[in-house]
Amino acid sequence: MAETAYFAHSLQTWLGGGPLWIWGAVSAVVVIFGLALPFGGLATYAERKIAADIQDRVGPNRVGPFGILQFLADAVKMLAKEDFIPRGGDHFLFNIAPVFVVVGACATFAVLPLSKYLLGADLNIGVLYVLAISTLVSPGLLLGSWASENKWSLLGGLRAAAQIVSYEIPVALCILPIILISGTLQIGTIVELQGWNLALEGAKSPHFWNLFHNPFTLVSGFILFIAGLAETNRIPFDLPEAESELVSGFNTEFSGMRFGLFALGEFCEVFVMCAMVTALYLGGWHIPFLDIESFGVTLPTLLVALIQLTMFMIKTLLLVFVVMWLRWTLPRLRVDQLMSLCWKGLVPICLFNVLGTAVWLWVFHGRSLAQLIFQGGGH
Amino acid sequence: METGFLSAFWFIIVAAVTVPLMLLVGALLRPKSRVVGASHDSYECGEKPIGSAWIKFNIRFYIVAIVFIIFDVEMVAIFPPATMYRTAIQQGNVGIVFAEIFVFVGLLLAGLAYCWVRGDLEWVKGVYQTNRRK
Amino acid sequence: MSSGSQAILFAFQLMTLMSAVLVAFHPNILYASVALLFTFLGVACMFIFIGADFLAGAQVIVYVGGITILILFAIMLTQWMYKATLRDVRTKILLPVVACGLLVTPILLKTTRLIADLGPLGTAETMTAFSFSPKTQVIGQALLTSYVLPFEAVTILLLGALVGAVWLARPQ
Repeated sequence: MAETAYFAHSLQTWLGGGPLWIWGAVSAVVVIFGLALPFGGLATYAERKIAADIQDRVGPNRVGPFGILQFLADAVKMLAKEDFIPRGGDHFLFNIAPVFVVVGACATFAVLPLSKYLLGADLNIGVLYVLAISTLVSPGLLLGSWASENKWSLLGGLRAAAQIVSYEIPVALCILPIILISGTLQIGTIVELQGWNLALEGAKSPHFWNLFHNPFTLVSGFILFIAGLAETNRIPFDLPEAESELVSGFNTEFSGMRFGLFALGEFCEVFVMCAMVTALYLGGWHIPFLDIESFGVTLPTLLVALIQLTMFMIKTLLLVFVVMWLRWTLPRLRVDQLMSLCWKGLVPICLFNVLGTAVWLWVFHGRSLAQLIFQGGGH
Repeated sequence: METGFLSAFWFIIVAAVTVPLMLLVGALLRPKSRVVGASHDSYECGEKPIGSAWIKFNIRFYIVAIVFIIFDVEMVAIFPPATMYRTAIQQGNVGIVFAEIFVFVGLLLAGLAYCWVRGDLEWVKGVYQTNRRK
Repeated sequence: MSSGSQAILFAFQLMTLMSAVLVAFHPNILYASVALLFTFLGVACMFIFIGADFLAGAQVIVYVGGITILILFAIMLTQWMYKATLRDVRTKILLPVVACGLLVTPILLKTTRLIADLGPLGTAETMTAFSFSPKTQVIGQALLTSYVLPFEAVTILLLGALVGAVWLARPQ
């Protein structure tokens, strides 16, 4: 399928001509400065509010209505802090580490299917691009922890890199069943194939969400979420940042805006992980039981795009809420528990899921559970 | 050159430029800093740092990295055939495709099982401990 | 290719070459590893420019995410490796350069002759059509039909590498 659903193309059509590369730059700036960075900031506020709610206290409520501008105050505070590099620390590596982390977290926003018409770039290798860019984070953490010239940072960084690197395998293996089902790496196509079509003899394949395609993808969806938690160093896998053990792990010596950039990178990665689970398993921008493009009335594209965007954001933000909820619910895993969970637990289960999905698709000719129930013997 | 990748490049460039941009804004905003006393020593919960910033060699990190690379290559190699699975179903020759994928994943599982049984996947109480006892 | 794309491609090629030179000549081994990381990224970008998008993604996942981490682990965990100076830049440069020149020149000559034989890169329309064609599926189809034996042989090779690596790392 051709890569046509670009944000840049849409901007070009909606706002008049001009060379495409300028609209590409505009779309990048809009998405990163309009979605990624504000999300990073608001996520810190949301986390504090959710934490306060769970711990039965109030949380930030001074800056702005309900304290919602707290993240701006935090940003100003971080910007004005001392630019601190420990004695003997490596200046070049200290400065380049946040670049890897932020690029690894924010550049993946290019392929997130915010809506059918609001995709930054519907690459032919969309899923592979997300995996590839996410791997840029680990060298950043390693170099940053080394440059801190601090034993505890180094140990935290090594553990963080080992953890991120180990849990990339379950993430990729959980994406494999979706590839088997969809037959493409393009995220836009994968989301489109999950549409529910009320007129079952319509042209679109009436798969319901991929999560319910077969029992193996059900398990895979949850494992993708868990492995995503580990990839982004969230509880219960946040040993590298262990507040009670390693001071603050690999970001001990980072203060001010550099720490802010690491935190921003972490929250953006959480968003990307939840967005991937939403796009691959929960039907992306599809509204359950509703196909707004097949109404009698043809709605304007912009309205459809906004509705789909809202749906996508609702699903993703629900998952982000669960991520934050888990932070204050579960205890932290020890490092050997973490590693055995990955290699002895998740990887074998994921491999069995891949084989199981392949067998299911073979036996039932690629039909999902929903298709079998609602279509019976039809093909 | 693919126009899709042009947009993706722009995202990478904008994300990479954000970092020095923010640090520059910070540099313009903040007052000048001075090194006072022990303020630039590395942090060890208030104690003076003892010894250099080195840790002993732990082979388990290296084993994890090697096992990861093996599985990474296997996984990247399995992505293209997986994309052909759907077409194979529609064309009817799924059996052989499944057999090929099964052999691939099966050998992967066998390797993992071997490492598991021989105790190479242990993090703390395995290789390292045995090494220390000797 | 438009001149803008050519300029970007040239910039990436320059970045790759400069990083490669840094890997070979920089005395600080950690900076050399970072330069190696940028070399891998540069090669991935060059893959994208010739349309091999899957290879670019695979390159970043395996090399940047795996090999670089492996090298960084080895450097950070080995105390003496950081203190050793990689090379004495001022002396002993003539013989390696001559040896490399003798090895690389035939390859360069052969490659440029091959590229000249292939003819021009094609019109903008064919390049665009190639850009949008589904390359991953083509690779998959090839791996499943024509190249299935190398595909399975790769599995056995990886299995052997896995067993060998953990066997070597065991305390003997």
